[in-house]
Amino acid sequence: MNTQPADAAPFQQYICNACGLIYDEAKGDPDSGLPPGTRFADIPDDWECPLCAVTKKDFSPYTPPDLSKPRTTPAASKRPTGKKESAGVVIVGAGHAGWQVAQAIRATDAGLPITLVTACSGDVYDKPLLSVALTKRLPLPQLVRETGAQAASRLGVRLLAHTQATRICTRTNTLTTTRGNQPFDELVLAHGAQVALPPNLPAELCWRVNHLDAYLKFRAAIAGAPQHIAIIGAGLIGSELANDLALAGHRVTLLDQAPTPLARWSPADAGEPVLTAWKHLPIAFVGQVSIASIDNVTGEGNSVRMVTTACGQRIEADHVLVATGLSTPNRLALSAGLAWHNGIAVDATTLATSHAHIHALGDCITINGLASRYIEPIGRQAATIAAKLAARRAGAPDTECPLPYVVKPAVVRVKTTSCPLTLH
Amino acid sequence: MNPIDMPATIVQATTTEDLLLAVHSIAQGPLAQRAQAIDEGAYPEDLLKQLASLGAMGAHIDRPGQPGDYMATIAAMAEVGKVCGATAFMMWCQSVCALYMDASDNPALKGERLTAHLAGKGLGGTGLSNPMKSFAQIETFLLKATPTDGGYLVNGTLPWVSNLAGDHYFGAIASVVGEASKEVMFILKCDAPGVTLKGCPKFSGMEGTGTYAVQCKDLFIGAEDIVADPARPFIRNIRAAFVMLQCGIAAGIIQGAIDSMWAVEDQLGHVNQFLDDRPDQLQAELDDLLARVAELAKTPYDNSNEFFIDVLNARIDGGELCLRAANSALMHQGARGYLMQSPVQRRVREAQFVAIVTPAIKHLRKEVAALCSEDMPA
Repeated sequence: MNTQPADAAPFQQYICNACGLIYDEAKGDPDSGLPPGTRFADIPDDWECPLCAVTKKDFSPYTPPDLSKPRTTPAASKRPTGKKESAGVVIVGAGHAGWQVAQAIRATDAGLPITLVTACSGDVYDKPLLSVALTKRLPLPQLVRETGAQAASRLGVRLLAHTQATRICTRTNTLTTTRGNQPFDELVLAHGAQVALPPNLPAELCWRVNHLDAYLKFRAAIAGAPQHIAIIGAGLIGSELANDLALAGHRVTLLDQAPTPLARWSPADAGEPVLTAWKHLPIAFVGQVSIASIDNVTGEGNSVRMVTTACGQRIEADHVLVATGLSTPNRLALSAGLAWHNGIAVDATTLATSHAHIHALGDCITINGLASRYIEPIGRQAATIAAKLAARRAGAPDTECPLPYVVKPAVVRVKTTSCPLTLH
Repeated sequence: MNPIDMPATIVQATTTEDLLLAVHSIAQGPLAQRAQAIDEGAYPEDLLKQLASLGAMGAHIDRPGQPGDYMATIAAMAEVGKVCGATAFMMWCQSVCALYMDASDNPALKGERLTAHLAGKGLGGTGLSNPMKSFAQIETFLLKATPTDGGYLVNGTLPWVSNLAGDHYFGAIASVVGEASKEVMFILKCDAPGVTLKGCPKFSGMEGTGTYAVQCKDLFIGAEDIVADPARPFIRNIRAAFVMLQCGIAAGIIQGAIDSMWAVEDQLGHVNQFLDDRPDQLQAELDDLLARVAELAKTPYDNSNEFFIDVLNARIDGGELCLRAANSALMHQGARGYLMQSPVQRRVREAQFVAIVTPAIKHLRKEVAALCSEDMPA
């Protein structure tokens, strides 16, 4: 580096107004015959910028910016991050809750962008029918009321099917998905719950039929000949499936930790009548057992499952179906720091999560720590959220809720067709 | 600072702050002067050795009395990546090769071999692009290993392995002939009998990365070079660390792009205010990303799927933010950034590299989708 006499003025820098090249007096421009230390004033007028060939009159004094300190751009240049126009509403999940809320929001605003992100195909079906369809031997195409593409087209919704949502960024209001980031103004979580597979049960040996895709695979696996199916869990879903599989000609062993099925209700109201009704069906109920292990056993050319209980009973079955209750996946809620209480905690009247622009409904939510995984509330929840978002778009404060949600006790219709029950 | 100005003996830095200061001075000094030459094809072996000898590619490895710190290696890579994405990428190659040796159960890879590697006396890379894509069912295995007395005979050609030269080595995986879904992982020495390095077609940038196609003809791999046999359980344990370390390359390129926006703010801010992706917005996103990476870096060997999804998402965000930041920097700088000698346009190509190098953004998304799907009976 060039040194300068102690009495000389410090070297200056000049910037080319055309191309941004910086002339540093300390360095000069040796390629053009200007040795280091050549003052800008001493540069001949016919000297040219080595990059763009303008002359020295197109240079201005330059002070290098101090990049060591944090800076901010002027407020005038600030814009909402992550989106250029309205990003609209993004809904996660295309089950009953997702489509209901899409429809309710569309009814409030014909032009609002709505994006629906779902891990499944988005096909519209009635989940309660899945079990009944076994007995009625409904052909599979009849289960789909409307394909995802048809529903999306009818509602003017952008459908991202077979797309996993894995993260919410609340700084930029974007949803990370496996098909790219989706910006949102409002996010509605309707991603439901999953069968809570006990940790000692191997996923690759256990069917869980909480959505259409899995149901179709299960039905294909049991088609052809009567099967022996072990069902773990004799709650509502396990009991209905046991009933319908038995009526469809399969043999069922139904296992539960409780002494009777449907143990959430009193045995006299639920478990005992059901067991009586099942007497003429090929259903063996095994109560008061817990499952120690499930293994694949190969014999005579085909493999079967061996279910071993903690007390040592061994039950050989063609298939194992697990219905041990549901739990809500917590990935999205955790990533956004949403309040969590056995599920996504929402306000009892507004259905807002702890983030003002994220609402939730259906199987993934809890109100005061309680989940209510039934069909009936979903339509009312969708209406509440749609009305609230419409009010907000019209300028109402965040908290305004024109159509408050009301928690009602669930009336449960048990579709064990051999013994239909209505439980409170 | 010129290379000859470097102290004759470089002492390994003892704290992360010292390490980053020392890396900073190499990056802003000799590396900055040579970044364009490296982009055009000059392999900076001396600088890589200097960086390694400082501990820049080994800070994540446990040493006696000093637990490994993934964030230190990532930060060192980022410090270099601000100036030269290609060199940051080669630091990643060297760092993951260290990870393979350190995480292996094979004592022959530890001790002197690992120490020499960490000190930069040996340089190495990673040939896992094809295997990683094969595990994700994007490609099929290109190297085949046939069991033989005392080891394997390896045949096949791996394209595009980086940070190589005649006496370098790298971690490789071959599928084992005659065994379904079994692979073996090993250190492949470039000077072993049966190995030929072939030059690659010219890339649009990052040409000085020592990248070659590696041809193997009856290459013998003995017990001393086995990293893991079988390879899959080992890969599951190191996959998060492997991907996580790449965030250092991305972070450097993003920061370099942001700095180049501020550099023209005084002259061009009056017009740049109309652009998307202004530097303070990008900085906020980068800071968020780095905070996430720092958290993930505390448990690099967590082999759960949930953790890996978080790491993959961070890596995806790094790639996407690279593209946005480098592109926006070019918009901010305008024609001066488009000059062939400008780091601003070079960084656009470096950012594109981060987005397409294995695992590429599309590969990462496919992997996340696979990890999210429920395991069901076949």
